[in-house]
Amino acid sequence: MNDQNDFVWIAQATTALDESARDLDAATLSRLNRVRQAALQQKRSRRVSWMLPAGLAGACAMVLAIGVWHGAVREPALPTLPNAELVHSVNWSNGADDLELVANEDNIELYQDLDFYAWLDTQNQEHDG
Amino acid sequence: MHQLLTAINEQSWTPQRVDTVKADERALDQFLKAVERRALRMADMATGNREEALDLVQDAMFGFVRHYAAKPSAEWAPLFYRVLDSRLNDWHRRRRVRSRWMSFFSSAPADDEMDPVAQAPDLQEPGPLARVAGKEIGQALEAALVRLPLRQRQAFLLRMWEGLDVAATATAMRCSEGSVKTHLSRALAHLRRDLEAHYE
Repeated sequence: MNDQNDFVWIAQATTALDESARDLDAATLSRLNRVRQAALQQKRSRRVSWMLPAGLAGACAMVLAIGVWHGAVREPALPTLPNAELVHSVNWSNGADDLELVANEDNIELYQDLDFYAWLDTQNQEHDG
Repeated sequence: MHQLLTAINEQSWTPQRVDTVKADERALDQFLKAVERRALRMADMATGNREEALDLVQDAMFGFVRHYAAKPSAEWAPLFYRVLDSRLNDWHRRRRVRSRWMSFFSSAPADDEMDPVAQAPDLQEPGPLARVAGKEIGQALEAALVRLPLRQRQAFLLRMWEGLDVAATATAMRCSEGSVKTHLSRALAHLRRDLEAHYE
């Protein structure tokens, strides 16, 4: 055979092979379909099995991060204040203004006499009552 | 902290990500659908047994999805045929070992033992190719392809039928491009000789 014949028989061969692949019987095609779906299902299962631990790890990381963040907010440099015990009794919900008020050295005498003011307050309440 | 939250957010199922995953799955499904019939015919010719061929294609699909589905789709064809080629090689290796052991113990073969001759493809029986083509050339071609050594047949089918280039065929067959050319050249010589009578 010459090159021209090579070209012809190879073209005919591939055409015949295409036809043989195209005209497979129904049972074989059904089995191929099931095989393909099973392979794709395997991919889905692998994705789910990967996502579960990743999701748990993500949730743990989130909880840890929130805990660290809250801890950082709740711990200002309190020991530098002259009377740390009193500072702890301050209501933190009032925010930075209260902190400034308490930290101001001009007010040291004021909160040293807090017991007296507390007693005075109870007296006033008794009189009011 | 921000990077951590960003990373966690990226792993969550946003609608865009769901769409991307669905599109990837569709592309993979279409690819497998496009190659499954040719893969089956290759396995048919390698094993001469439809059930064995279907099992091999199934193994190849599972292996391909497991190892290579995340690769770019342009690389899928040579990688899929690489897995299939590996499964076909394994099948032939197992068959050779089984035949060797059976011939060793074959002085009094039991009735339920497998006969390797019976397992060989029947060249007289018109295969799917010949049945479909319905021509003398179809039968002759199928018989000639079945007679080829596995590597030569794979080189011919991947290059001439599947249309892979030399580099992709080398990837699929896990050999050098020079080996692909050698296998193909020998396959064409064998086929030319076997089919010469039909093209005189």
